[in-house]
Amino acid sequence: MSKTGEIPFEMTGGRVKLDGREVLAGVDLRVEPGDVLAVTGPNGAGKSTLIKALLGLIPLSGGHTEIYGATPGRFRDWKRIGYVPQRLPMGGGVPSTVREVVSSGRVARQSRWRPTSAADRAAVDRALEAVGLTDRARDSAHLLSGGQQQRVLIARALAGEPDVFVMDEPTAGVDAASQGALAGTLHGLTEAGKTVVVVTHELGPMEALIGRTLVLEHGRIVHDGAPATTAEATGTAS
Amino acid sequence: MSEMLQYEFMRIALVMAVLIGLTAPAVGTFIVQRKLSLLGDGIGHIALTGIGLGLLTSTSPVLGALVVSVLGAVAIEFLRARSRSGADVALALLFYGGLAGGVMLTNAQGGGTSLQSYLFGSISSVSASDLYVVAGLAVVVLAIVAVFGRELFLLCQDEEVARAAGLPVRFLSILIAATAAVTVVISMRAIGLLLVSALMIVPVAAAQQVTRGFRSTMLLAMAAGVLSAVTGLVGSFEYDLPPGPSIVLLALAVFVVAVIGGAVVRRRRARAQAEPGRAEPSGARAATTREAEAEVLGG
Repeated sequence: MSKTGEIPFEMTGGRVKLDGREVLAGVDLRVEPGDVLAVTGPNGAGKSTLIKALLGLIPLSGGHTEIYGATPGRFRDWKRIGYVPQRLPMGGGVPSTVREVVSSGRVARQSRWRPTSAADRAAVDRALEAVGLTDRARDSAHLLSGGQQQRVLIARALAGEPDVFVMDEPTAGVDAASQGALAGTLHGLTEAGKTVVVVTHELGPMEALIGRTLVLEHGRIVHDGAPATTAEATGTAS
Repeated sequence: MSEMLQYEFMRIALVMAVLIGLTAPAVGTFIVQRKLSLLGDGIGHIALTGIGLGLLTSTSPVLGALVVSVLGAVAIEFLRARSRSGADVALALLFYGGLAGGVMLTNAQGGGTSLQSYLFGSISSVSASDLYVVAGLAVVVLAIVAVFGRELFLLCQDEEVARAAGLPVRFLSILIAATAAVTVVISMRAIGLLLVSALMIVPVAAAQQVTRGFRSTMLLAMAAGVLSAVTGLVGSFEYDLPPGPSIVLLALAVFVVAVIGGAVVRRRRARAQAEPGRAEPSGARAATTREAEAEVLGG
């Protein structure tokens, strides 16, 4: 059995209240190293809230959660975590190139006082290649399609070379080409033994890679285990 | 031009114009990205109370403005972080309070005319010692941008991702607001508090019409800022115009040119993309998927 310090996420009795409504109603969850975990469930079940609470982005109103054995407030080793949010925020209007956005994923590994190193640049190159956007590196990120933007966000997390990837709906509104690229990237991550927590509505091409499925309903876990149930739920027509 | 350089106040003013032209758009790029374009205006209003305090206590108005506007910027940041909806009104209250307080304090001191020079700028009254203070502050601002640039970029891009990368989000947010306050104080003598924010925002708005990246936007905005500030100053000397408004109107002219230039550039890019080879016919989607997958797996 692994030591607590090596458990990516461990939540006990996690509760979250947003605007007086209980969005998470007592969640016990332990994510083991190397887990490839899909978090599914209907709209408003609390999927995004759960992963944000795991990362400490939303405070718990009850219960306890730890990242590698430390509460989010005390956790310092953030370079081990790669968070992929749902959308690239396009506010403000100052353009950023794809490469600039992806490079910002290195920030947890960089010293404030040192310029960008060759290792940084190489990691960004690898990340761009992994999502198939090398040829778009100098383009404005906000002019890309939704699927390509999603790949930019994943590349940003990849560039940081974390141990755990936390992805919020990476396949929502994404075209087939990008879904395929995402599944490919995910495959590479599982091969490398990375831990992946992915919130998703539909597994699509990722389905074969998922090792564990969590189904949330009304802020509670109603299923935690083998992913077979989702295959049954979505139908195994193919 | 050479005649102009014979006057010491013009030499000082020109150096000042370059410093302002560089710093204001550098900070402005982050401010625009954070959707806080009116932050500079708000700080300008609050700074007025600092000037009033400085005049009233017969200390330095610049120092007063610096202290009060940095405190005001920190207050704005707290209000912004605390609530989304209530912050808007709270900010407005802070702005009006700052403006009214400033006018009241200067009135109590009996310095109505000097207030005018802070509201609309009077670059010709800047002394060499003022210039040293401004130059020192400008170095501080540019150093902050250089050292914290990467972190501020991610913060302005996505605050949640910045937090999940372990960045000190609260500290960085205050840092950017305080840096904006310092920039307002740097620029107020030349451009005036009511127009100060223009030089933080307009060059950035102009640059982003033609650029694709954040860094290139910042550098081009700084170039546009220096161009507007220096040309505006020279023009105001030659034609006896008020310098602050001349600089701002020139920056707006640069913006108009950039909008037209940007439209041309975009049309050209669109035409280049429409050419065969770059377009992706929908029928080839499945093939592309497999290719992408193979590429990823291979890599």
